[in-house]
Amino acid sequence: MAEETLTRGQDGKRRLSLRDLTWSWNPATPREAGDAVVRNFLLHWFPNKVAKASIASRYSMWLGVISLFLFLNLTLTGVVLMFLYVPSVERAYGSIKDLEYAVSFGRFLRALHRISAHLMVIAVFLHMVRVFLTGAYKNGVLARQNRRLNWCLGLAMLLVTLLLSFTGYLLPWDQLAFWAVTVGTNIAKAVPVAGEAVRFVLLGGHEINQNTLIRFYVLHCVFLPMLLAGLAAWHLWRVRKDGGLAARDRVALGERQEAAPPVPSKTYMLLGIASGRAPDVQTSLVDPERHLVPAVPGLLRRLLVVALVTFAATSALAIWMGAPLEAPANPDVTPNPAKAPWYFLWLQELVTVTTVRLGGWTINGALVGGVIVPGLLLLWACAAPWLDRSGPEATGVWFHRARRRANGIFLAICVALIVLTVIGTFLRGPYWNFYWPWEAWPAHPARY
Amino acid sequence: MFRNDRILLAATALLALIVCVVVAWEDAAPGYERYQEEFRALVAERLGPERAAAVPTGLQQIWLEEAARVDRCTSCHMGVTWKGLEDAPEPFATHPAAPLAHHPIERFGCTLCHGGQGYATDLPDAHGWVEHWEEPLIDKKLAEDYRIRDPWAFLQYRCNLCHRFDREVAGADYLNRGKRLIQDKGCRACHVINGRGGAIGPDLTRVAEKGPEQYDYSRLTTLPTLFGWHLAHLQNPKSYSPDTVMPEFGFSTEDAQSIGLVLLSWRDTRLPASLLPGAILRDVPTPEEAERERVMRHGEGKFFVEKGCFICHDVSSFGIVSATKIGPDLALAVEDAPRRFGRTVDDFLMNPSGTMAVVLAKQIPLTTEERRHAIELLEAAYRKHKENQDGSAGK
Repeated sequence: MAEETLTRGQDGKRRLSLRDLTWSWNPATPREAGDAVVRNFLLHWFPNKVAKASIASRYSMWLGVISLFLFLNLTLTGVVLMFLYVPSVERAYGSIKDLEYAVSFGRFLRALHRISAHLMVIAVFLHMVRVFLTGAYKNGVLARQNRRLNWCLGLAMLLVTLLLSFTGYLLPWDQLAFWAVTVGTNIAKAVPVAGEAVRFVLLGGHEINQNTLIRFYVLHCVFLPMLLAGLAAWHLWRVRKDGGLAARDRVALGERQEAAPPVPSKTYMLLGIASGRAPDVQTSLVDPERHLVPAVPGLLRRLLVVALVTFAATSALAIWMGAPLEAPANPDVTPNPAKAPWYFLWLQELVTVTTVRLGGWTINGALVGGVIVPGLLLLWACAAPWLDRSGPEATGVWFHRARRRANGIFLAICVALIVLTVIGTFLRGPYWNFYWPWEAWPAHPARY
Repeated sequence: MFRNDRILLAATALLALIVCVVVAWEDAAPGYERYQEEFRALVAERLGPERAAAVPTGLQQIWLEEAARVDRCTSCHMGVTWKGLEDAPEPFATHPAAPLAHHPIERFGCTLCHGGQGYATDLPDAHGWVEHWEEPLIDKKLAEDYRIRDPWAFLQYRCNLCHRFDREVAGADYLNRGKRLIQDKGCRACHVINGRGGAIGPDLTRVAEKGPEQYDYSRLTTLPTLFGWHLAHLQNPKSYSPDTVMPEFGFSTEDAQSIGLVLLSWRDTRLPASLLPGAILRDVPTPEEAERERVMRHGEGKFFVEKGCFICHDVSSFGIVSATKIGPDLALAVEDAPRRFGRTVDDFLMNPSGTMAVVLAKQIPLTTEERRHAIELLEAAYRKHKENQDGSAGK
């Protein structure tokens, strides 16, 4: 009897069971239970079977997964750090010093958090590069795909990642933090019309102070992580809805062209979704024997490897490099040079390059270098999937011939960004003068 | 392709485990433990095993809530407050007693006076001769570097962070000499110092807040530091800033060192007033109030104050003012007593009636001798009252 209830006894009375303590909802029918399982996102992280092509590391390089594990790592270490850090102008610096010297594993925790944050910016960026170069933002052969949307979600996540890193940068309240955020928010000021207001809202005033610290703290610990977690869930859900990675579409396309033997079909009688005669459903566009493996353990084992490698690598880097902490923030003393966080240094470099001096006149490059150029880049990146006219055969493959031009432009921009970042990070000294790595900066004099 | 996955998983798991072990190992052995063991052995040898048992273990710190500082120096410098280790080697020696008498360690800690990084628990971070720590420990090497005769002279600049408004600080010879020179040579003719002075030279009140990178060291032959620049510049201003109008005062090396140390100390010190010398944290009477109190305590009518009569009575001609004014002005007692009680004041005081009988019996017991003295004083007060009256009437 399909309508038979699950939690009623023979007499039809509702019984109180231990289950009621942990489950707020009891499905009334097997069909309801089935629906619940089908709808549950957590139970559908993994497909039943994955394409071998999708889990080949030479295709995805696991960059998205690495980003996700880094985010997980950051969340876990971040929650512990929240117990130890005091977001006040008077106490913030001291609480970081305590982490460094007095708290068990404090130095390691902080270094792990910091290094993971830097690596996450890199991993998310490289993930974007990978997706572009493999044409993975393009729809393939499956129905109802919307990979363009997922590409835009990814871009949003890249921005949120940068914001997360930037807001975290201020929290130690040392000179590095204070002046990096000063430079960063001064660039925001160059936005036409709204710039001053944007900066005011971000700082909670006209200067970086306790108001700024608490704003950045709440953004960093609550708002942005939740936003990123929501976007990540959406992003991953879309990956499943789009039929997995784009590499699988490529396999399906190849299958079609070589007119493979008919793939087996399956009859859905599961979970009571349908009773009586069931429809025959073609379960896969690709031959499972040749191209698919069960997700457990095939995918699971590799995810574990990636997670462990990510953890081991970040931990080793954390021990080796530590996390920097400069002198306490001092609004009266500007370090020379004052640099934004490294991932914004291409912007700072652009601002410098586009600042033009004509005699006594100075045209500040903040608008061109700090707002217009990055704004156009972002717009172009969002529009890229719609501008791409190549066919489905260019989906899910590295450097497809049909996308040669798009890949070329994209790579050129990436290389330019990286070069500018490297120059800004390693080759700029006092007064933003250019120094080769083998040239010594002028010595920083001491008091005594 | 998948056969290798298991081996890969096992290998990465092992790698992660190794990393965890390294992390745990890095955290497990703090640097101060070795010193604490050495200190325990030293105490056992010199002061006996019972005292050694009382040597604390683990991280030691002095938390200065008022100054918002924490000093963990005593994690290694364990003998600071122990008696009997005066000649022990560092880091175990007893601190000289004199400075600690006025600066108890639990209120002032270590780094306020000595410099160094109180947060840190290992070397060289704790001594602060590291990047990004701007107040390193004052050590003897500094005196050697700048050829200062007194090996601890440099510490005196730290004294002046708090004692900058004191003319003399006991034991701080360089400081006192520097301040005297600053007065004698009339630096204020050109420079504002602590809010007073001329406008020809720069304001020196916060001169040490100016970053060392803002000075030009290109002409300097000695150490290119802020202090080195001041030493050279004080002795020979024109050689180090050619456009200056600052005259050459013919300062000796020691003069320049003294003034240089004072200059080094002129910066913001953000400490609560309770830790600063000379801060007035009590209710100071005005000169008029102080004079009034002196007249009451030590004037002609001090008898009435000592005995407590003034609680209820004014003695106006002697300048004694009662806060309550419950009873009549005693300056008029001579004419007041007959009017109120029909008796002379001496008779009344010898055999009081009414409220005064109770007061003189219980609260202010007076001997016969004292009563006679009181009567004399009351008569004197009345005479003075009359004189005052005549004086003001005559005018």
